[in-house]
Amino acid sequence: MALIAASGLTKHYGQVKALEKLDLAIEPGIIGLVGANGAGKSTLLKILLGLLTPTSGSASVMGMDSVRDTRGIRQVVGYMPEHDCLPPDVGATEFVTHMARISGLPRTAARERTAEVLRHVGLYEERYRQIGGYSTGMKQRVKLAQALVHDPKVLLLDEPTNGLDPSGRDEMLDLIKRTGTEFGITVVVASHLLGEIEQVCTYLLAIDAGHLLSAAPISHFTQRTPVLAVEVEEGADRLVAALAAKGARARQDGSRVLVAIESDALYDTVRDAVADLALPLIRMQQERGRLEDLFRDAAPQEVA
Amino acid sequence: MESANRTPVPAAANSPAGSIYDLGYRHYAGKRNGRGYAMWSLFTESFRSVWGFGRPMTAKAAPFILAGLYALPAVIQLAFSSVFAQRISAGDQVSLLSYNSYFASLFVMVFFFCVAQAPELVCRDQRYQVLPLYFTRSMGKAEYALARLASLAAALFVVLLVPVLALFVGDILMKPDTISAIGDELPKALPSLPANALISVGLAALSLAISSFSPRRAYSAIGIVAYILLMEAIPAAIYSIGSTSGSWLDKLFLLTPVTSLIGAGYWFFGQPLNPNDFSGSLTSDAYLAAAIAGFVVATAVLVYRYRRISA
Repeated sequence: MALIAASGLTKHYGQVKALEKLDLAIEPGIIGLVGANGAGKSTLLKILLGLLTPTSGSASVMGMDSVRDTRGIRQVVGYMPEHDCLPPDVGATEFVTHMARISGLPRTAARERTAEVLRHVGLYEERYRQIGGYSTGMKQRVKLAQALVHDPKVLLLDEPTNGLDPSGRDEMLDLIKRTGTEFGITVVVASHLLGEIEQVCTYLLAIDAGHLLSAAPISHFTQRTPVLAVEVEEGADRLVAALAAKGARARQDGSRVLVAIESDALYDTVRDAVADLALPLIRMQQERGRLEDLFRDAAPQEVA
Repeated sequence: MESANRTPVPAAANSPAGSIYDLGYRHYAGKRNGRGYAMWSLFTESFRSVWGFGRPMTAKAAPFILAGLYALPAVIQLAFSSVFAQRISAGDQVSLLSYNSYFASLFVMVFFFCVAQAPELVCRDQRYQVLPLYFTRSMGKAEYALARLASLAAALFVVLLVPVLALFVGDILMKPDTISAIGDELPKALPSLPANALISVGLAALSLAISSFSPRRAYSAIGIVAYILLMEAIPAAIYSIGSTSGSWLDKLFLLTPVTSLIGAGYWFFGQPLNPNDFSGSLTSDAYLAAAIAGFVVATAVLVYRYRRISA
């Protein structure tokens, strides 16, 4: 049985169709749930948590129905909301301990788990200070800690890197990756930033306007034909024409030219073409097939 | 084909080699309690936060000052009990504070306590959007509301009982024979327990029900003040304008939040209502019914509010 499953899942808010006949079967791993703002990511998470009732269809977590067995699901799920959810005038330790107790952990166990989990997310001395004085990065760590404190089997993270600077984002992604691999917890990361999903996830779900765009292991998207990006100061159009004449597949992308690397000889072809045209070359770099392609090109075939 | 990626790696494999403190992530295999425990946890946390424990000193100021002011007259009477005892033995008439009218004369302090602390309990979680964290755990919305209600009621009960205790001790100390004094005083003091319990739950339910409608403390506080003052003033004003003896207008007093609680208190003491405080021909039976009805309605509104709240 799939860890998280949905069949014909539909949620309408009045006229707005947040989710439309979604069918899912997710296996354990780190799952990226990607889509633009308003694509229905948060709605899907909230239905799985039983915070919202689907208009039609059903969803289940570990075989428990999201409507009928909400309490059962909540025992095994940790949730990190997208928005701020921390009171400013208590310390992280006190807050996380309290949340552990609300999850049913006895007092001493709650304290021990809190200390352990806060250490895991990287909060040390500052954990006794009031949360109001924390940086955004520290607050995100506390939010992750409260989701982890009752040792869930499934972690649902809604935009965990919201508001973080690049280094904070990398740390949070690393933490998510460790949680998924080292801790053995299935993590569902909802994000609108494809680059993040690419870094940490093993499986990708793309939804757009409430529809499932694709669901496949991440390697399916990144192991496609590698692409060489050639950046020139001018004459990109002439370069495309020259490359096409030599039989290479190339297309212009702004000031860059993207060329499919079909063999190693291509590098020479590109070098010669640039030299022949005497174009001011800025850089050449190999790009993996990136997830942006998902939304730019037609959706790839589903590999379920 | 991706199963290799998804299989959890043992903690030790990823931890840095030099670290002896990092035991890796350990799963929790211990006991998990149910919703009753969750409610109890929220109740205790809530009770602490009413008094400002675990918060900065400034959070403790309002509850302790107001509770202190409410108890002050009783404590003063206790402090001077030996003086009163001498005067009583000298045959002087001493008018002492009584158990049943204490709340009526000093309810303003309790009223302020509710205004200050009820928003503390229900507004913060809405303002800082903490509610989803509760509602995605083993805690229902109604359970959340009832645990909060119980904690404020318990805190108010403590506030109300401190002066009762002071009066009780003071009255005993004034008598020459302590043992028989306890026997004399206990029956007089005991009705304070149910009377003050009713006042506590009544005020707690009302002030929380009003507070829960706004995430902003200030608006909630204004809401409580406005509701209680208006609902006390309007029936009194209508009654005094249209008052002819035996008119049905005195029934309007059943809508008053505080007066009906005071009137209900008299029911437990089995005493007639003091005509100085109560206009009209209503009896304490009617006020008791009104107070209980008020509590039920306020609790229903509070639970309804949380059922409707989106997390």
